[in-house]
Order: sequence, then structure tokens, then C-alpha cells
Amino acid sequence: MKKEIIICRCEEVTEEEIVKVIKQGYTSLNEIKRILRCGMGHCQGRSCLPVIARLISKYNRKPLSEIRFPTSRPPLKPIALGILAQYHKSLDKNRNE
Amino acid sequence: MNKTADVIIIGAGIIGAATGYYLSKKRLKVYVFEKAFPCYGSTGRCIGGIRAQYAHPLSIQVMIESIKIFSTLRDELNRDVEWYQGGYLFLAHTEEKKRTYLEAIKLQKQFGLPVEFISPEECSRIVPGLNCEDLLGGSYSPYDGQANPFAVTYGYLEGIKKHRGKIFTYTEIKKINLTGEKVSSVVTDKNEEYFAPVIVNAAGPWAKKIGELVGLSLPIEPERHESLVTEACERLFDPMIVDYRPDGCYFVQNYKTGHFIGCYTPIPNDPGDHLDASSTFLTEMPRRMVRLLPKLRHLKVLRQWAGSYEMTPDGNPIVGATPIDGFYVSAGMCGHGFMFGPALGKLLADLITEGKSSISLEEFSYNRDFSRKELMK
Repeated sequence: MKKEIIICRCEEVTEEEIVKVIKQGYTSLNEIKRILRCGMGHCQGRSCLPVIARLISKYNRKPLSEIRFPTSRPPLKPIALGILAQYHKSLDKNRNE
Repeated sequence: MNKTADVIIIGAGIIGAATGYYLSKKRLKVYVFEKAFPCYGSTGRCIGGIRAQYAHPLSIQVMIESIKIFSTLRDELNRDVEWYQGGYLFLAHTEEKKRTYLEAIKLQKQFGLPVEFISPEECSRIVPGLNCEDLLGGSYSPYDGQANPFAVTYGYLEGIKKHRGKIFTYTEIKKINLTGEKVSSVVTDKNEEYFAPVIVNAAGPWAKKIGELVGLSLPIEPERHESLVTEACERLFDPMIVDYRPDGCYFVQNYKTGHFIGCYTPIPNDPGDHLDASSTFLTEMPRRMVRLLPKLRHLKVLRQWAGSYEMTPDGNPIVGATPIDGFYVSAGMCGHGFMFGPALGKLLADLITEGKSSISLEEFSYNRDFSRKELMK
């Protein structure tokens, strides 16, 4: 295990940090996400959560199929506040017409 | 394993974690039962604001104590809890709101809180780029701040474990047994029984259901609120901004990561413990944020989610003993649980072990008169 391997690229969380938390007894993706912020960045865990699930599986001898993934949150991709705000207005306009 | 503890706590949010921590520091053996994972309920869904600007004397006192604790929590828990004293700015757009704030400021000053009503010009000096249209000024206290709800709660829970306590995750309490008029044990969904002479109901949105297990009817009803977080940017300003207009909102920039996080109170309210995210919020919240601070318009929204405010009839928490011997409640936080948590935890731990606390929690008792409403809810 190399210290500098980054698993969550958005929040820059390393493999070492994740394994440390797993060894402390936190064995769900939901808990690890909340402790280390992995999965809270731009990609919402698309790249890191499957890797972390494998790490949990490896260190706890738990089948991968039993590891639950955190809830996916809208929006699927980041959208600017200004665009969303305009969308609100256009909805109102459509309603008035 | 040993199935007997000194205190059983139901709920591993901030309330259960802080109460359990201060009890275990008094050398009591604490078991915490959590139906999902720590912070699953309201704590992990809140936006992390901490303030002493309230209109109720007891809330002001409790929050001054809580802020003292937050400022020392890094050393206490040996963990960066991301406490930052960036202040709170409550905006007044109507004469009525201004009067409410001026009245509250008089009271807050009696307790020594540094707080002032400031002009629109001063508001826009503190929050550069603030839209001052219709603004009459704001109630500003630099004493308020922010912290990371996850770091604080997990920090307290780790502390309980260090003091020989135990956290049972994914374990729901299905039954509470009484011996005579006194609590004696709980039964989990795995049909295991754990014994303790004291049980604390810290179940947040589910506190009413837990109360019903001992035949207690607690006036606590969850309501859905929604939040969102944006991508990070350079620091723009310090305080949490609170806009109490019917179509207002609240948001703050995380001092450390640079994300903006915010929410609003839906009108009409949205009762129930459902937690789905709505497209109405995803478009309405940005409109309200951009109206207040147009320069935020290019920031991207990363995520939205929902959480429960556990409301009581007057907007204040229910904390203390109940007619059931050994059964305590600390719930109905009305969206303020994270900030109240540390002080209420400490005070309730004193109440349980010594029969009294340094600040009397009488006015938060479960059978109080609920007609006096908190005006800075």
C-alpha cells in the first residue's frame, strides 16, 4: 500500500486514509463518505466508491454484493446556480402563458 | 458480551453522541443504539451553522455555552471539527423584522452577546456584493460560527468508545421494558435485550415513536427541509446569511473547503419523515441565492438532499426527565440540534448524574406551556 495513491480524486483522499478508517471499524460507504468526504466532490463518487467498496470487502472479508452504496443525489452533473435560477423563471413564464 | 450499561442512548446523531460523551466522561458506561449509521438522521443533513442569536432567553444561554464548547472541541476530541467563528447576519427587509431583531438584541446583550443592528452599507461591507434592495439592515454577531457536523459527531462517538462505551449501528430499538414505573431494558430488532437504569431518547425525527414505546406522547413532528451544496471557490465572506422573507433562504461558505451550503424553510411546511429531493428546490434555492448575491451565479451546484426538522409546537427543544422514572428526552430540536448539541449534552449529563444542571432546562421540559413561540426559528 502506497501512501500517495489517491482514491477520491475530487476530494484528494488517499488509500492510506481510507484503510485507516476501515481498520477503526467503519465498514460502510456511508460512514466513510461522511468521515473523509470521498464521494462528496464533483463526480459524486463515480470513480472512488467502487474502489472503496473493494477495500471494505478485502479488509472485512465481506462479499462485494453486500456493500450498500450511498444515495445518488441530483443533479447528475454540476449545474451553475444562475442556470438553475433561470430555469425556475422559464417554468413560471410557461405557466403564465 | 456484557449486556448491562449505566445509560442507554437511542440515536447516534449529535444529541446522542454529545450526551453519551459527557456521561462517559463521568465514568458511566454508555451504550448508543443507532438504527442506521451515525449522522443518518438530521445531524448529517444540516448545514452546520452555530449561533447564539435567538429570541428565547434559555436558547441564548444554552448557545453561549455551546459556542464555548465548540471553540475548545478540537483539543477535547483531538480532531479538527472545523469550528470557525465567522458570525451570522440576519437580514431585515421589513420594519416588523427589524423590530423583532432589535427586541432580541436587547435580550441577547443582557447575556453578554456581542451583537449589533447594522446598516445596509455595513451589511454589504461584511458581505461584498450583497443585493441591498429593500434592505433595512441586519442583526450581526461575530460570536456565531460554523463547524463540521460529521467531525463533531464522530469525534464524540470515538470518545464514548475510549471510555469503554459501545456504539451499536444498524440496530433499531423495538421495545422498552419497565420494571414497575422505572425503565429497565431495551429490546433490539435483532431480538437482543440490553439493560440500563437510564434511557435517553435522542432519536430526532423518530423521537415520538420512541416515546410511544413507554406510553409517552411527545409533541414532536418531523418536517422535510432541503439543502444544496455548490462547488468550492475562493473565500468571499465570513458569516452565515439568513434571509427570513417568505421566499428567503440561509447559506454560508465553508471557511475551509470554500463550498457554499444552504437551505430554506418551505411554505407551506412539508410534514413527515420522507427525504426525497425535489426539482422545485433545485431551481428555487438558486433563484433565492442569486437574488441575494448575484455574483454566485456562475458557481455550480454539486448535490441536493433533504433532511428532517423535528418541530415542537413552540420551536424550542424538549429536554429533561419524564414521568417515567429513568427515561429522559432530548429531541424536538426544530432544526437547531447540531448547534445546541454540545451544551445540551453536557447539561443533560449533569441533570442525569446530579439531578441538576448549571443552566436550568426547566423551560425546555416536556410538559411546559408551548404557546410562546421562538421568533428567530
